[in-house]
Amino acid sequence: MQTAQSIDESDLVSALKAGEQRAFHQAVRNYSPGMLAVARYYLDRSSAEDVVQETWVNVVEAIQKFEGRSGLKTWLHRIVANRCKNRLRTANREVSSEFGEELEPGIADRFQSGGRWATPPKLRFEEHAESLMENEALSDCLDKHLSALPEQQRSAVMLYEAHQHKAEDVCNILDISASNLRVLIHRARQKIYLMVEDFQETGEC
Amino acid sequence: MLMCRDLARIGSDYIDGQLGATDAISVKMHLLMCRDCRSFIGNLRESVRLIRGHSDYRMDEEYARQLDNAVDEALESRGRG
Repeated sequence: MQTAQSIDESDLVSALKAGEQRAFHQAVRNYSPGMLAVARYYLDRSSAEDVVQETWVNVVEAIQKFEGRSGLKTWLHRIVANRCKNRLRTANREVSSEFGEELEPGIADRFQSGGRWATPPKLRFEEHAESLMENEALSDCLDKHLSALPEQQRSAVMLYEAHQHKAEDVCNILDISASNLRVLIHRARQKIYLMVEDFQETGEC
Repeated sequence: MLMCRDLARIGSDYIDGQLGATDAISVKMHLLMCRDCRSFIGNLRESVRLIRGHSDYRMDEEYARQLDNAVDEALESRGRG
């Protein structure tokens, strides 16, 4: 059974293949944030923006070859990743990968030597999730902390959480192992956990 | 025996259903006995919900227009070709 989203996407792809300007402008707005998330994993901001622009110019022709074996988003993200990797190869550079420990220092420091909590979770914010989500100050704070995540964690989180890619797809796009992806995502989640805990305790960001 | 620190280390794997059956049972047993870890996992789940609702790259309007213009030019040359 086709979902509403897949019907929308197939209409969009047809319009893109037909060269409809409005469809391209819509696609640019829908898909560029995710494409930037991919590119920023590999490159600095200015180079990442260049690659996303080059990709769209290329897509104007290349869309004719899109056969729908993957979703349009995954297809676009793969093109961006390949272009970024080519750039790095040409410049003889690599992404410096620092995956590190599974635990954030702010969490790791909260255990006794035996492994039990010394400073247990202070708040039980699972009971207040809905009101948390409606809290404007928290929402601003969340934006600020997500923007401040290390670029690799941020890209991994955006592709996995916001864009809902399968872990396997994120690993392919970012060229990392499944275990390294798990570390990036878990570290980012802990940072946000600590931010919410602190915000609830102090009322400040 | 699984300790609280071990559980914190694999918390995301647990909530994403990425643990093997044996590890998942160990976590469940631990959670039955440990209120602090139940809070940790509950809070981590809510952090994920918050992230899902917020995380995306903000694209400034000027850059979006720049992309539109680049696409328009490419469409024009595709039309000519």
